[in-house]
This record gives sequence, structure tokens and C-alpha cells, in this order.
Amino acid sequence: MTFIALIPLFPLIGFLINGLGYGKISKTAVPWIGTGASLLSFVCVLLAYLNFKETAIIVNLFDWISIAGLNVGFSFQLDQLSIIMLFVITGVGTLIHLYSAGYMSHDEGYGKFFAYLNLFLFSMILLVLGGNYLMMFIGWEGVGLCSYLLIGFWNKNTDYANAARKAFIMNRIGDVGFLIGIFLILQNFGTLEYLEVFEKAKAFHVGDGIIVAITMALFVGAMGKSAQIPLFTWLPDAMAGPTPVSALIHAATMVTSGIYMIVRSNVLYTLSPFTLEFIAWIGLATALLGATIGLFQNDIKKVLAYSTVSQLGYMFLGLGVMAYSSGLFHVITHAFFKALLFLGAGSVIHAMSDDQDIRNMGGLWSKIKITAITFLVGTIAISGIPPFSGFFSKDEILAHVFEHNKIMWALGMLGSFMTAFYMFRLFFVTFKGSFRGTEEQKHHLHESPKSMTTPLIVLAVLSAIGGFIGFPEVFHLPHRLNEFLSPIFENSRLVNSSFGVVHISHNLELILMGASVLVAVISILFAYMVFGNGKNVPVADSEVVGLKKLVYNKYYIDELYNKVFVGPISAISFFFANVIDKKLIDKIVNSVGEGVNFSSKKIKELQVGVTGSYILFMTLGILLLVLYQFGPSLLSTFNLLQNK
Amino acid sequence: MFESSIDRIPDVFMKVPLVNFVLLATMLFVIGIVGVLIRKNAIIIFMSIELMLNAVNMLLIAFSSYKSDPNGQIFVFFIMAVAAAEVAVGLAIIVMIFRNIKTIDISILNKLRG
Amino acid sequence: MYPIIVFSVSGLLMLFLGLSVNKKSLLPYNLLFMLVGLASNFLDWNAPGLYFNGMLEISNPIILVQWVLIFAAILVSGISSRQFDDTHAYPAEYYAIMQFALVGALIMVSFQNLLMLFVGLEILSVGLYVLTGSDKRNLRGNEAAIKYFLMGSFATGIFLFGVAMFYGATGSFDISSGNSVANNLLEGKMFFWLGMVFIFIGLLFKISAAPFHFWTADVYQGAPTVFSAFMATIVKTAVIFALFRLAAYSFNLEYENWSKFLVIIIGLSMVIGNVTAVFQTNFKRVLAFSSISQAGFMLLSLIGLGAQSYGNLGFYSLSYALATISAFGVFLVISSNTIVEGRPSENINVFDGLFSRNPDLAIILLISMLSLAGIPLTSGFWSKFFVLNDAAAKGYFWILILGVLMSAVSLYYYFNPIRASFKKTDLGKIEISSLSKYTLYVCAALTILFGIAPNILRSLF
Repeated sequence: MTFIALIPLFPLIGFLINGLGYGKISKTAVPWIGTGASLLSFVCVLLAYLNFKETAIIVNLFDWISIAGLNVGFSFQLDQLSIIMLFVITGVGTLIHLYSAGYMSHDEGYGKFFAYLNLFLFSMILLVLGGNYLMMFIGWEGVGLCSYLLIGFWNKNTDYANAARKAFIMNRIGDVGFLIGIFLILQNFGTLEYLEVFEKAKAFHVGDGIIVAITMALFVGAMGKSAQIPLFTWLPDAMAGPTPVSALIHAATMVTSGIYMIVRSNVLYTLSPFTLEFIAWIGLATALLGATIGLFQNDIKKVLAYSTVSQLGYMFLGLGVMAYSSGLFHVITHAFFKALLFLGAGSVIHAMSDDQDIRNMGGLWSKIKITAITFLVGTIAISGIPPFSGFFSKDEILAHVFEHNKIMWALGMLGSFMTAFYMFRLFFVTFKGSFRGTEEQKHHLHESPKSMTTPLIVLAVLSAIGGFIGFPEVFHLPHRLNEFLSPIFENSRLVNSSFGVVHISHNLELILMGASVLVAVISILFAYMVFGNGKNVPVADSEVVGLKKLVYNKYYIDELYNKVFVGPISAISFFFANVIDKKLIDKIVNSVGEGVNFSSKKIKELQVGVTGSYILFMTLGILLLVLYQFGPSLLSTFNLLQNK
Repeated sequence: MFESSIDRIPDVFMKVPLVNFVLLATMLFVIGIVGVLIRKNAIIIFMSIELMLNAVNMLLIAFSSYKSDPNGQIFVFFIMAVAAAEVAVGLAIIVMIFRNIKTIDISILNKLRG
Repeated sequence: MYPIIVFSVSGLLMLFLGLSVNKKSLLPYNLLFMLVGLASNFLDWNAPGLYFNGMLEISNPIILVQWVLIFAAILVSGISSRQFDDTHAYPAEYYAIMQFALVGALIMVSFQNLLMLFVGLEILSVGLYVLTGSDKRNLRGNEAAIKYFLMGSFATGIFLFGVAMFYGATGSFDISSGNSVANNLLEGKMFFWLGMVFIFIGLLFKISAAPFHFWTADVYQGAPTVFSAFMATIVKTAVIFALFRLAAYSFNLEYENWSKFLVIIIGLSMVIGNVTAVFQTNFKRVLAFSSISQAGFMLLSLIGLGAQSYGNLGFYSLSYALATISAFGVFLVISSNTIVEGRPSENINVFDGLFSRNPDLAIILLISMLSLAGIPLTSGFWSKFFVLNDAAAKGYFWILILGVLMSAVSLYYYFNPIRASFKKTDLGKIEISSLSKYTLYVCAALTILFGIAPNILRSLF
């Protein structure tokens, strides 16, 4: 299986050419190399898939470490799970490379950008293709590094550089958990290879303490990477990076690696219902929080960022109720429609001369038709209207959640109501009504070049039909995804008898489906009534508190909306955005930073530069150590000596 | 520990228990440390450090005698030789500083800090 | 054993060469001697045993560590090219002293008797006191020398006090005699314990573990950069292995006792080293504080003290030496090209725009910083992974969590030079001598090589 080793090799070569040849390679060749590397990698995935037969293939390139008690190979594992992830990564990756060729063409760091993108693809492929936890960790750190480099790509602006650093450091905090998980696995299983770990895991019982510890530690890593409460605030800040980066890294691929990790370790998680319950609640809370904050954001990328946080929450909610394949299903469809939305947003920003504020937009529907139509497709998909892709995956998650816990289901429905609302609000405000920007911007409005619209169209098609890989059982159509993934969950079925048992009747399933569609439709109608006429435009930030100005038209529905909906909900949204997010979590993060700064200054003051003081500190150190170590025993020894 | 080897030590030491030597050496050592801590003149500090080393020498000799083992005394020779080398280097450094700033007060040498 | 003889002789030869040979051709001689020393170590290969009346032990793992030391010395000599060209420098003496100091370092990793440890420690230290003050006209250098000298002698006194106590308890200076008191009663052990703690403290001072680290930043800053690199790598490696020998052979039965305070020292070193480095503007001070935290990580393998720990420590030492020497090397080149107020600037902003001034140096710097921070696919990742795994094996999870958290903090300052090097600048290209260039290439290449295939190095130990 030589194709397998080639998959990560092409992006690596692309990175080396574009990176080492930075400034020497002509500007026309750069995107060809970058996109070509990604495309070749995609072709290899395709070939590997065509040659793939049921059982996992392990390719051990060489032994990384082989000493007593620690054996780790540089190995790749190709199985159903990695194939799906690889398709998403290289497929969406190629489209985004293509898009960047147009989007970044005016930037001076063109070659550097493509080099970083290729390096990211390489790390991401290592992450999902690696055959053991250490490979996953290497990829995990690698994507974090690339994310840092790409967020801070425009590093002339210190805010951007700080956002990059925040993202990296928050991710590192998550990595602490991941690393501890790895060490725990190593101590308890004696190996890090997936197949061996999962084989040995069968000997454990449901609810064993050590498994709970391992799974919780790993989940902390996933929290950081996949932006779950409380480690989510870096993701909205990460929007400082170029838009293709947001689409590729902060929507489609990197942020889903936490989900990949849990699906990969599904045996361990199935053994630990406690962790699963924890994950489900964290996921649900994140989904609601993200959606609530998303309701009243005015930066087009920020809305999408919070939406990503919220959708990631749904995925974790799915994982938490043991619906692993549904979670993965949502990863796939989300990669399609969220990449589409981000790229569409990029196209809008491009047309608006780099303005991201939706209050300055409006009426763009006729100006940039392709972008608008594809954006609409993405918006419908994320809102969960059949037969678009988001409907299938989200509905599947919610069906499993309903079976697990009715309250969770109701809250999930609330979240999906909000999702449809804020997405259509975004759509109407951006594309309907009349243009509100400056004359200069209006003059400059134009549809993006072909290299940018082609990926949009492809992604729009995928967002529309992508859901057909997994039909609900009630339609008696094949659920190809589940059938394909089935071998991955073999061990989970063995260790926990409650895994994969479905009690829901077909009638109930239809009712649930109907309910979620109804909720989405009502929500869209709401959004249409408020924003559809293009007159209700969100006001400037300073006036948000005085919400009365928000409503110009005195239709009774608007008043109702204002009283019942806008007032309380926007207060909650405002509360979450400004109090929980900015004040609480950011404050905790910042205060950690400030604590480091403060103690750094304090410790610096000890460094007075005078030899005498240094020796004094040393002597005190020696005294304290001796007392700490031997105080009690010294005392008793002297007593003994005296008594003689 | 103190009793075990008492029959092998020379008569003159019989009247002085080992613990006295240990306490004396420790006192000298601590005096050396205190000297290092409170003095500002580099030469005096240096002398205090020598005092610490000599306290160690005395300790070694005392142990050596009580254990009837010559190794400790050999060690003392090494300490003396090495201390002499240290003196050579140390005085050279002090002279170098005196040439540059005309003082050997170490408390004003605090430009490297922070 | 042979390199010890080679360097003792070649150091003397070097002094005589200084009289007859032109200044610029001394460095090749120095490299030649070092290579001879490196090669002479082969004579001891597969001939384990005690030499010189049981004073030194030679075995293959020890020879490997000696290679690491000599190799690091070669790299430091490599980056020293063109640094001693001015009229007030006396390279013959510097190189001779470096070789003598190396003798001390070699003794320290193979001693079998505390007397040899003391002699080795002093040969190393006295040589470094001289090297620190070698720039006689530089007041900063003078200050660093006197500080290092006074505090170093003080630490030696502490160390010797410990040795005397050890002798009092065991009646011998042989390192294996520590086990003879294992079964003594509490009162008999008092001297032994005191000796143990003081010996540890004396050596911990030399690797600048907190709270005995105060001299580090001042001395690294004041000393000529080449010798700071020498201190940061060779001294640290030699002393940590001396500590390891003591922990493994003399005090292994007292593990419960010393591990208790050692973890506190490790935690302090990590926190103080990393946190203080955040606000430093002088790059040499940044590296000094980084070396404090790295010392904390190295000490983790003493806590581990398993069958693999020696090898882990060897891997750590080499990978740390490679990264540190390349950081110092890049800094040395740029700093001597950036003269501020008549002196080479040491501020962290010398890296501004490095990528456009000399892309190779910028990439080497990037690799070195990533390795120091412990990012995967550099050898620094594996070295941290190994020692943390050691600590985890002993169940010290809190120090593990602290270690990983602190390495997150360390990114904060390791990324500063990287960010600076990608800034825009109008400054011209930087020239670099071919010897330092190839030395730096070797460092960077090995850092990546051991990052991708650590087994090459790790399986040797």
C-alpha cells in the first residue's frame, strides 16, 4: 500500500518547495505547487480507498522508539475512520487551496501562506492517519503550530499576533490533558498503538476508574482543540487570520480533531459512561452558548465562528450519547457547509473591500449572485431543512439524544431554533435590503474570480446532497456511512451491551423529524419577519442596550418579537457574549497571563544584582531545605544524643 | 557510630569526644558563611570562604583519625591544593576589578541584574 | 579515560602553540585536538571496568556521555570562529582552558570516588571562572567573573561539607559506600543524610536549579557569549550526570528521602525559570532562565531513576546542547553585526527582520526555539517526552502537569525571537563565517533528525 505513505508526503513536499523557495519561486507557480500537492494527496486517498478491503491496514515506516517499556512506531493506520477524515481533509483542503489562489493573490506573503497551508495539511493528515496516540499527538501539536502561524499571518497587527498566541497557549492547556492521557495509557496498557490498546481495553469493565481518568484527560485535550467550554474563547479570536484559514482550520478540519480522537478511542469512552455524560452536557452547553452569542454578532466572521463553536457542541453532544457515527456524520456535513459559508463570507469581504461588518452590507444579492446563492444553500443546510445535508446529520444526533434524555433533546431543539434564526438573520442582513456601505465600496462591488467561485459551487453541491450518505432508517434507504463505519465500533459493542441499541419506533422518528423541521421553519419565518424586509438593521454596538431603536416598523409581530424574543434573548446573548465570554472566561485566561506577568516582575526583583543578597537567598534556601527534609529527624536525633 | 571505633584512636584524643570536633567545625563553617553574608570587601569574603574550607578540612581530619583511615587526610591535601589554585584565580579576578574600578567593594558591582 | 589524557596534554600544547602560531589558525588546531580526543574514546569502547585504583569507572554508557560532552565542545568551538580576532583576545589560552575544563567535565561523568568528583568539579569551575572574566576590559565581564567566582567557591564549600559528612558516616569516599549505612539506625544516619543534602545542594548550584540559580542570569549575561554557551551545555551535562551517578550508586537506597525535596526543587526551577524569562529583554538572560527550567526537566530523570533514565538523560543533554548552541550561535553572529553604543547589542530586538537578512539563520533559530519549547518533530519534544514519562512512571503526576503547563508558558518567550525574525527591516544582509555556518547547520540538522528518528540516538544508550 504505497499510496498510504504518499498521502502525507505530497503536502510535505509542497511545503518544502514553497517554504525553502520563498521569494525565489514566481508568483504564478506558487498556487500550482500548493494546490497540486493537495490534489495529488486527494487522489492518493481515492486510490487507497479503492484498494481498501474491510480490515485496517497498518503501515509501519520505521520504529520511532524501541526501548524496553516503550515501543512506538512511525506507523499509519488506514481504516474506515481515517479514510473518511482523509477525504474531508484533502477534499475540502484542495478546494480551499484553490480558493486561496484567488483570495490571497494580492498578499505579499503569498508563498509563505501556501507553505503554511501545506504544512497544515501534512500535520492534519498525520493526525488522522497515525497508527498510535503519539502520532496523533504529533499531528495535534503540528496543526496547533500551523494554526498559530496562520492566525498571526498578518503579523503587522499586534492584536492579530496576540490572538494567535492566545489560541496557541489555550490549545497547549488542552494538550496538558492529552499528554497526561497518553502517559496514563502508556502506564496502564504498556503501548500506544491503537489496535493493541483497544484489544487490551476489552479486559476492563464498564466504569473502571482508570479508564475514566484516561478518557477525561483526553477529553480535556479535545476541549482545547475543539473549542468547548471553557476553552472556546480562542476560536472567535482566531478569526483574525485570513478567511481561507478560518474555513479550513477553524471550521472544517482542525477543530474537529477532538471529535476524531473520541471516535477513534470509542472503546475507551464506551467503557466510561460517566465521561460520556460529562461530554454530552459540555457539548450541549457549548452548543447553546455559541448559538446565543451568535444571535447578535455583527461581524460576519464572528457569527460564523460562534456558529462553529455551537455546531462543535452538537457533535460532542452526539458523541456523549454514544452516537459516534452520527457525530462523525455531522463532522462531514459541517465541513461542507461551514467551509462553504466561510468561503462565501470571504467572497463577500473581498467584494466589500475587506469590510466585515454586516451593518455596512445589505442588498448584495444582485451584486454577487453566485456567492449569494451558494451562501443561501449553506444557510439552509446548517438550519436543518431537508433534503440538505445538515438536516440528516443533526436530526440523527437529536434522535439519539431524545432516546438518551428528553431534557437534553428539548435544549438541543432550542439550540437548533437559534441556529436557524441567526443564520438567516445573517443572510437577510447581508444580502437583502439596500446597500448601506460607502460609495467607494459600492463602486468596488464585484463578483469574485473563477478560482474563488468554483470551490463555492462545488461545496454548495456537496452541502446540498452530502446528507444522502446516511438516510434515516425510517426511509428504508441505505445508511451507507453507518454500514461503512460499522467495523470501527466492533469493540464498543463487545465491551458494553448498551451500545448501539435503538428503541425508537419509526413513527416516533418521523414525529421527531417533523418537529425539528417545524422548529427550523418557524425560526426562519421569524427571521424573515424581522430582517427579511431589509429595514431592521442591527444598531451600533454602543446602542445595543437601548433595543427599542432596533425596531423601526410597528407591525404587531415586531412588537411581540421585541417583547417576547428580542428583549430577554438579546439580554442573554449580551450577557453570554460580554459577561461569560469576555468578563469571566477571558478574565480567567487573562488573569492567568497577568499572574505570570506579575510574578515574573516580582521574581525579577529578587535578581537584585548584589552578590551578598544572592548568597543570602541561597543560604536561606539551604536552611529551608534542610529543615523541611530533616527537621523532625534531626530534632529527635539530638534528643537521643542528649539523653545518652 | 561514635562508640564503635573508640578503641583504635590515639590516646590524646580519648579525652575529646568526636562530637566536639564536629560541633567546632560546624561553628567555624557557619562563621565562614556569616562572614560571606555580611562583608562587602571581596578579599574578606574570600577569606571567609577559606574559613569554610578549613572547617571542612578539620572535620575530615577528625573523622580520619577516629576511623583510623588515611583517606580523609589525603582529601585534605587535595582541598588545600585546589584552594590554592582558586586563590590564584580569585586574586587575579580581584586585581582585574581593582584595576578597572579602583575598589573591591562587591556591593557596587550590581550592573548585571533584573 | 584516554580523552582525559589527550586533553590534559593538548591543553598544554595549545598554550605553546599560542606563542608560535598565528591567532587565526589556532581554532583548527583546537578542533583537531578535540577530534583526536573524540576518537581516542574509541580505545575504551567495550572495555568496562575501574581504572586508577578504582577512582574512575569506564563503561560504554559513560563513554557515550563523554562523547556528548566532547561533541558539544566541538560545536562551541565551531561557533567561536571569528570571535577572538581582536587584539585583546588570547584564543590560545581560551582554547587551552576550554580543553582543561573539558577534562574536569569528563572526570565528573566517570568518577568512582568523591575525591575525583571534587577534583573534576574544581577543574571545570576554576577554568570557567577564568573564561568568564576573560574579556578583561569589559566591566560586565569583570562583575560576572567575581560573582561566579564567589558564589561558586561558596557552593564548593557547601559541597565539601557534605563530602566530609558523607565520609564521617561511611568511612570511605567510594560512591558505592553509601549503601553500607543503609541499615544503620536513625542516629547513625544523621551525618549521612546531612552529607547527602549538602552534596546535592553543592551540585544543584552548578546546574543552576532554583533556589540556587541566582548567579545564572548575571553570569551568562556578563560572560563572553561563547563561554556562556559552554557553561549552558557542557557544565550542565557534566553536573547532571555526576548527580545521576550519586543518586543511582550512593543514595539509591535513600530514594524516598531525597526525592521528596528534589521534586520541590524541580517545581521551583520550572516555575522560576519560565516565569522570569517572560519579561527579559536581554537574549542571553532569556537563555539563562530557559536553562534554569531545562535543568528542572533534566532533574526529572533523577526522580524517574529507572533502567531507562540514564539514556533519557543522555538524549536530553545532547538535544538540549544542540538547541542551545545553535541559539547562542545565531545570536552571536547577529549580535556582533549589530553594534549599539560601541558594543554588540544583546537586546532581543537584534533578531528583527532576520528572515530577510539571512533566511538560513532565521530557520536555524526557529528550529532551535521549537526544540527548546518541546514541539514535536524536533528532538526537544522527545527529550521532554522521555523525562516526563520517567516521572509519570514513578507516579509524580503533579510535577508532570506543572511541567507541561510551564512548557506552555515557555512558548511565550521562545516565540518572541521567532516573531521578531519575521518582521520587516531595511537592514542589510548578515555575513557569517563558513565554519560557524556549518556548525549551525549540523546542529539544526541533528535536531530535526533526532526529532524524526529519535531511535538512532536513543538506542545507543
